[in-house]
Amino acid sequence: MSSEPALMSLASVAKAIADRRVSSREATQSCLERIARWQPHLNAFMAIEAEDALKAADAMDAALAKGVRCGVLHGVPVAHKDMYYEAGKVVTCGSRIRRDFVATTTATALQRLKDAGTIRLGSLQMAEFAYGPTGHNSHYGPVHNPFALDRITGGSSSGSGSAVAARLTFAALGSDTGGSIRMPAHFCGVTGLKTTVGRVSRAGAMPLSQSLDTVGPLARTAEDCAILLGLMAGADPADPTAISGPLPDYAAATTGSVKGLTIGVPGAFYVDDLDAEVAGVLDATIAVFRREGANVVRVELPDQRQLSGASQLVLAVEAAAFHKRWMIERPQDYGPQVLMRLQNGLAIPGVAYLEALRWRGPALAAHLAAVAEVDAVIAPVSPVAAPTIAESDVGNSPEADKVLQRLTRFTRPINYLGLPSLAIPSGFTRAGLPVGMQLIGRSFDEATLLRIGAAFQRATDFHDRVPELK
Amino acid sequence: MTRPTAKEVKAMADVAGLPVDTDVATRIANSIGPAFDAFAAIAGTLPFDLEPSTFAVVQAEKATQ
Repeated sequence: MSSEPALMSLASVAKAIADRRVSSREATQSCLERIARWQPHLNAFMAIEAEDALKAADAMDAALAKGVRCGVLHGVPVAHKDMYYEAGKVVTCGSRIRRDFVATTTATALQRLKDAGTIRLGSLQMAEFAYGPTGHNSHYGPVHNPFALDRITGGSSSGSGSAVAARLTFAALGSDTGGSIRMPAHFCGVTGLKTTVGRVSRAGAMPLSQSLDTVGPLARTAEDCAILLGLMAGADPADPTAISGPLPDYAAATTGSVKGLTIGVPGAFYVDDLDAEVAGVLDATIAVFRREGANVVRVELPDQRQLSGASQLVLAVEAAAFHKRWMIERPQDYGPQVLMRLQNGLAIPGVAYLEALRWRGPALAAHLAAVAEVDAVIAPVSPVAAPTIAESDVGNSPEADKVLQRLTRFTRPINYLGLPSLAIPSGFTRAGLPVGMQLIGRSFDEATLLRIGAAFQRATDFHDRVPELK
Repeated sequence: MTRPTAKEVKAMADVAGLPVDTDVATRIANSIGPAFDAFAAIAGTLPFDLEPSTFAVVQAEKATQ
């Protein structure tokens, strides 16, 4: 066991607390000490609730001393993207408009993690209204990458990626509408799971696009993500889009190997226009899977640019519809880039929007047919490692679209198809920047992705690298 | 389906109740143009009986296989 509990994985610290080798207070104190050291450099937290966290930890320790264990994450301190409603708490959604918004309900995903025994460290920074892929925020400042403080974290779950990477929290909820879990996971060197549309309830999570939004975790390992998904997944009366039915044992899935599995490598699109170092990491990752016994084959996917176009039409209209009232009443309270992107939705005719939604079923069927012979598809999350905060601070300038589109090129098609995708730390550039790969699965087959991701993490140590504060 | 011009964007924004000036309309037209271009091959080709809920049907079919 590490002398610094905050460096443990979620699974390890949960077991250590259950076995009373580490107290909840020790784990919480360890996170708070790291937060105090790192927060001035990262800006990863929106709010830090140290006193309340320690009180909650003491209560968890007292309960355990009496033989009462709330759940599998009893006494584990965590923090989440500041868009998950918790009754009585301010939830800013990364915005000026909701700077003082106090939630009256608690998000189902959050409640299920609380019911499992987690305690709250505070809330995490994010892109304004989750509408930005870089980690910039014109109201609260950019979040910094722990592996290189002048670099972006990716977004929109910027604080989640940064805080998990720096070991300030054992895990964090993010959300993924166009890549917002996978990009911070890639840029910050952590594991992030974009879930299938319908796998996890979105009740009490700030909406951006009702067709594309998904709830998922960022954590240090695939095993940690599996534990969190197992707790959150399933039907919810408060969200009729959350699918009912039996759930697999996600944690058990992570004990399997990749022997006998087939991994597909796209022949185009996801391998085009890659930075040379990202291309090198893709090749090295494929080599690991081959070495571990997986069968690796080439797959020809349908035209991903069409999927990306459809995804943008859906997202732009739905986001503009959610925000229309505030766009009329409080346009001055939006950051320039977010307002710019919201305005895009005004110019898309209703028929174009509905055609994009009507095509979703056939597009998913065509994709699933193309990958019928493989268990997962591997692809880079982004064509590049983290750019600098300065060079990607494009605001609402004419070049903004080009920069943002390039970063999200490999994530948007997957959101349109509603598929699960697991981003795993897969290597580092010569400059020490993390590079992640995404494993894209079939609808509701997160278990296979977690199995493959965990097998990769048993064979490599990229997920164990801890950034140092210089 | 063709990408909207700045003039058409301006008219649609007016109808939406959020008027924009010519510069913003031009910027929006340039920003969303590539999405229209990418989707152009699909637009206008979908069969009559296809509903958006087909997506959930395909998801469910594949999940039970």
